[in-house]
Amino acid sequence: MQNISAAAPVKKGKRKSISYDKYGYFFVAPFFITFLIFQLYPILFTFYTSVSDAAGWDKVLHNSYAGFGSFQKLLDMGSDVAPFFWGSLGNTVIMWVCNFIPQLGMALLLASWFTDSRLRLKFQGGFKVLIFMPNIITAATIGMLFMSLFSYPVAPVNTLMQQFGVASAPVEYFRSVGISRGLISFLQWWMWYGNTMIIMIAGILGINPSLFEASLVDGCSSRQVFWKITLPLIKPILLYNLVTSLVGGLTMFDIPHMMTSGNPNNTTNTVARFIYTQAFTTPNNFNIASAASVILFAIIVVCSMILNAFMKDREPRAARLERRAAK
Amino acid sequence: MKKILSLVLALMMLVGCMSFAGAEEAITLNVWSFTNELEGMINKYYAPSHPNVTINYTIYPTDGGAYTSAVDNLLAANATAEEAPDIFTLEAAFVKKYVNSDWTADLIGDLGFTEEELAVAIPVMRQIGTSNVNGKLKGLSWQATPGALMYRADLAEKYLGVTTPEEFQAKVADWDLFLETAAEVNEKSEGATKMVVGEGDIWNAYNYGRTQGWVVDGKLVIDDLLYDFLDMVKTLEEDDLSNKGNAWSETWFQGMKTDSTLCFFLPTWGLHYTLKPNCGLTTNDTMNDEELKAACEADGGTYGLWKMVAGPVGYSWGGTWIGANAAKVAEASDAKKAAIKDFIKFFTLSEEFLYQYALDSGDFVGSNAVVEKILAEGGTPNPFLGGQDHYSIFAEAANLANGAIMTDYDETMNSLWRDNVTTPYSKGEVDLDTAIANFKAAVAAQFPELVVE
Repeated sequence: MQNISAAAPVKKGKRKSISYDKYGYFFVAPFFITFLIFQLYPILFTFYTSVSDAAGWDKVLHNSYAGFGSFQKLLDMGSDVAPFFWGSLGNTVIMWVCNFIPQLGMALLLASWFTDSRLRLKFQGGFKVLIFMPNIITAATIGMLFMSLFSYPVAPVNTLMQQFGVASAPVEYFRSVGISRGLISFLQWWMWYGNTMIIMIAGILGINPSLFEASLVDGCSSRQVFWKITLPLIKPILLYNLVTSLVGGLTMFDIPHMMTSGNPNNTTNTVARFIYTQAFTTPNNFNIASAASVILFAIIVVCSMILNAFMKDREPRAARLERRAAK
Repeated sequence: MKKILSLVLALMMLVGCMSFAGAEEAITLNVWSFTNELEGMINKYYAPSHPNVTINYTIYPTDGGAYTSAVDNLLAANATAEEAPDIFTLEAAFVKKYVNSDWTADLIGDLGFTEEELAVAIPVMRQIGTSNVNGKLKGLSWQATPGALMYRADLAEKYLGVTTPEEFQAKVADWDLFLETAAEVNEKSEGATKMVVGEGDIWNAYNYGRTQGWVVDGKLVIDDLLYDFLDMVKTLEEDDLSNKGNAWSETWFQGMKTDSTLCFFLPTWGLHYTLKPNCGLTTNDTMNDEELKAACEADGGTYGLWKMVAGPVGYSWGGTWIGANAAKVAEASDAKKAAIKDFIKFFTLSEEFLYQYALDSGDFVGSNAVVEKILAEGGTPNPFLGGQDHYSIFAEAANLANGAIMTDYDETMNSLWRDNVTTPYSKGEVDLDTAIANFKAAVAAQFPELVVE
């Protein structure tokens, strides 16, 4: 009898100790396998090819170490490629800034309206869907669409302009630097402000409502609430948006590639397009393209670190002094 | 019982295979291509007469360079791998890259093609399939893609008073006459009809007249003819003699449907797959001749109003070549080598096949012997061209075109030339010296190995 009763709890204990933990690894395995093969390995390979002589397809796998020549070429402004690389970086920054500032402004404005308890906007869901919609379409598709809309001389925009009497003759939009860059910035803005807005709304909704209530009781204006409560408290979200947008902006490719192919005169050529043309059109300078990717990577890391330091949630000066005094 | 039965069946199969192999050695060929065009031809024409050859057909699309990447990766990693192609097809955009490399087999030296066998091949396709590096023949094509000048016979009669293709050819026999005619059309039609859509249209034809390719002995060469081309494009632009549209743009297709454009420079496939399906306001590429005609009559269009002439210059545009994997050929048995040669010969030189294929598809084939045979039988009267025979005109153009100036740099060079020189210069944005300097800078940045002076 005793034997049985002694055995039972042991059995029970065994059953309890059956662990399902390992299944967790199975579930995350596909991600890690894919990540290792298609992300980490190519990244390391890029670092390697940037210091090799891998120019042309036949040398990609049969290359040898060639030092930092590719970096030297890209950093020495007297070389053949450097002006194109830095020129494309300049274009990218211009188009990114022109898209990002209005994007952040628009997203903040809309987010504060949508979350304002005093406004109580109707059809919020509908508006949010409409505003987010452009983000669902592939950038390449939008690039193609706008290329046909604005092309020359027979195209919808030109026809409309002439019918409304705005222009007397067809205009070559894609031969104007301002219009070409403006359109690219506009499309980036149009595609992404909805996304930024959704993240901002999430950030604002995460703020403790009692703060807003307290401000109402104290008689703050909407403007004061925004500048003194909302903005300081969504700083981490702002930082997140800034960094993701910076990464996305500096690697901008689809829209300029599909719409303008870098024209007119390389003024809409972005760094990602520069890397693409070096690597994937004859004669396939993989070493230079890899070196450019590594430089771009370094630029993004440094910019993100600067932003991070700049936006860090600092303690108020008084509190810091107090803490020091207590020590 | 079941076991015995399955053993008997297996033995029977084995015996069956052996007796088959005994008659003629069974051979497997790996064929890689970027469309199913060749696969259809294999199944219809090749397979029935070659029961001992098994074809493993693999397709990679050319979109985004998937085909060239697949070929490059495999050939660079392990060219003799089991799955590596024995035979692969090459498109005009990248044929030069492969025939200039060591990856493709020498058809004469390695596979034993003889000059007698090759004599019927249309020269331009053979020239393009020949390596610029060592002059060896590496690829052959079943089709030739000569280009000609398609024009609207009704508009030509209305504005220029010409009634026959011969008279029209006299008005466009060289580029100076072409430009004069362009001015005449513009004047007589009061600007309603332009000679061509734009520079993209004439570029393919014009650059074939060069005496030197883009690169000679590792140096960038800008042929003098290209400066003539710039003058011509600038005149067309400034005197308002073209529709100012790019090739493949809305303006281009508009010109095919309406009276806005007189001429198009198009090759064999351009006539059948570009001009014809776009001849009417409501036509599309699934319609056959009767449907196209009916649609044009009902909704407006240009079916039957076209004619064609050779134009100012013989040229070629596009095409597909067949090449063999050098590494696999080197280690192949004699029987397999013979099968590879026979495959290429069957599709590119065999008279029975090419003749039957030409009759079935209407495609312009790459053998002068077959072309002559078809012409001798009365050619191919084409209702789309108002009954004109397109074979005779293409045959003339095919033997005029010079493929020797094609290089593997062409695709990139052509686009750098257009973006840096043709477009900005013709639109008056930059002067010629700046445009050429910009082009040279862009070439130097893209091709580090090239000498740019």
